[in-house]
Amino acid sequence: MRRVTGALAIPVTVFVVLTALCSINGASLFGTDDSLLLLTRGVATTMLTAMALAINLNSGRFDFSLGAMATLSSVIGATVAIQTGSGIVVMGGITVAVGVALGAFSGLVYVLLGISPMVCSLGITLLYEGVSFAITGGANVSFLLDGGLTSFSKSPAAMAAVIAVGLLVVVLLFDQSRFGYDYRALITGQGPAVAAGIREKRNAVAAYAISGGLMGAVGLILASQMGYIEAGKLNFGSIGIMFTAFLPMFVGGFIGRYSNDKLGYLLGALCTTLLGLAFAALHLTSTVQSITNALLLVGFLLFLSNEDKLARLWRRVARRDRHTTGHLPPASPDVPAQPIVRTGATAS
Amino acid sequence: MHDLIQRPLPGAQKRRAERASGRETLAALAPLGGLIALSIAFVLIGSARGINMAYSVETLVNQSVIIVIIATGAIFIFAMGSFDISLGASTLVAAMVGGLTYNATESLWAMLLACVATAVTASLISAALAAIFDLPVFVTTVAMLSVLGAVAVALVQTTGGAQIRVDSAFARSYDTLTVKFVVAAVFIVLCVFLFSVTRLGRVEKLIGGNPVTARLTGIPMKKTALAAFAIAGLGVGLGAFLTVLRTPTLTTSTAGDIGMNVLVAMVFGGMPISGGPRTRIYAALVGGLSMAVLNQTMTTLLASTSAGNGIAQVVRAVFFLAVVWVATSGHRGRLLPR
Repeated sequence: MRRVTGALAIPVTVFVVLTALCSINGASLFGTDDSLLLLTRGVATTMLTAMALAINLNSGRFDFSLGAMATLSSVIGATVAIQTGSGIVVMGGITVAVGVALGAFSGLVYVLLGISPMVCSLGITLLYEGVSFAITGGANVSFLLDGGLTSFSKSPAAMAAVIAVGLLVVVLLFDQSRFGYDYRALITGQGPAVAAGIREKRNAVAAYAISGGLMGAVGLILASQMGYIEAGKLNFGSIGIMFTAFLPMFVGGFIGRYSNDKLGYLLGALCTTLLGLAFAALHLTSTVQSITNALLLVGFLLFLSNEDKLARLWRRVARRDRHTTGHLPPASPDVPAQPIVRTGATAS
Repeated sequence: MHDLIQRPLPGAQKRRAERASGRETLAALAPLGGLIALSIAFVLIGSARGINMAYSVETLVNQSVIIVIIATGAIFIFAMGSFDISLGASTLVAAMVGGLTYNATESLWAMLLACVATAVTASLISAALAAIFDLPVFVTTVAMLSVLGAVAVALVQTTGGAQIRVDSAFARSYDTLTVKFVVAAVFIVLCVFLFSVTRLGRVEKLIGGNPVTARLTGIPMKKTALAAFAIAGLGVGLGAFLTVLRTPTLTTSTAGDIGMNVLVAMVFGGMPISGGPRTRIYAALVGGLSMAVLNQTMTTLLASTSAGNGIAQVVRAVFFLAVVWVATSGHRGRLLPR
């Protein structure tokens, strides 16, 4: 029961608060015809990006190249699909496969050069942005009039399928496979895990490849949604895509303590997308939206960083109440509450 | 006891120590070697193509001076193992406030003061959030990135258009190499003094190298962090001031790439991202100049092709990774770095 309550507390609270806010202002959270599409598409892109970010961040590897991977993989997928006249299936297959290859290459550069992952990802970002620009000459890759390629992200069913498949693949890989066990062992104790025979470099390359595959899927959705790809972004113009994933990633990490962190990313993405729908329903300006998102991120992190202090404060207040109402004090000393599962994203 | 101290190393051990020392020296010199090699390539290619070298050098200074100033200040943050991703957004907001201040007062000094005050305030907000509430610095700067981006949009909207214009004749009159050199020289000398001569630099290296030891030795961690962010803010403010003079029409995309370029320049110049005792105050200068020389060389070579900018960035990425790889060659362990 505690697990269910813990896992659902944030999403339910967010939904209730946003619905109430919209009602007070005479608006509806799902007021438009395409609300379901916006919800599923938002959840799909945010969840996949949050998982791609968290896969490496959980291992202490911050990756700036996620946006560049999404752009380059979709540029290649769309270019091949346009030139061969093939449909969304071919484009999707190539985009995700290229995403996996780009992620694996990024991981290989990291393990072969043995440099800081954050620094390595800066170089990789420059590299992938440069390649995207060189392929297209800096122009957009456009397929606005190709209904076959643009229909994918206009279907709520397709977006729901992306969410289900993405979640299933990540859960199978990270929770049900030897790779996943090794990955968690490396997170919790890098030195002992390597000493015990776990092949860290192979595991790191695989983690990067999975992250790249997820960003390939994100690139596919974004390209299909807009009908074109902006391939002319240089000088780190592509990194903005991952900043949307910070809040859902931290929310997901928190929810993951009570259930599974992947389910947490799904629910975190749901919360963020509902927030976006509420912003639209309330006609908030982009300035207010950005500041609200930033304040929510800071507020949530303040809570996470000071959880133990808040819990101690809460117990002290509760104890004082019991004393004043004639109850006996607790027989055992205070022990800080331990979360059920110590997983989830951390940042340095 | 005397024997223990004076005992010579056995042959194999001595050779290993010498090799390790050689690798350390090579790693330390790699960024400088990279700058020299790039400069030679720049002169050779420029001469062969018959370009105007004086003009190219001026462009090179214009490209690098803002990055060098901001990166030099940011080294105080990075030396402690902290990470600020909001430098570009902070530069933009400070430049916008400076521009609006000039438009209201028509005073150069008021504009300079506004730029510096805004940047230092933004920097201190990040530091205070991190220090008071125990938040990871990187996360607070991510949040500040969003807030500052929104503030920049709001500032632009105050003009009723999509940009903030400063009198271009005024800006041109101060957008000179002399002004840039003076601003850069004063700030760099100040930073070198603070980092190399005063206690602040030593303390920062200790915090970056071993924060637990630093805390146990009684170092005031929060005060040091606030001082570091204040100096970095000063650098951002000066960079913003020069940005207004260089680009008197400010939009929300002005200075968009400065934050990441500052990071690349520092790493290019041999600054370890984890900070600590290997922090080098000159990394910003070497890295900023290296990036500018490489950019100018690639522009000379590839300006005529449509894919030129993309190829130039690919070359830049390869150089960047190569220099970092050589610069870290003496510090690799059995485990993957994190």
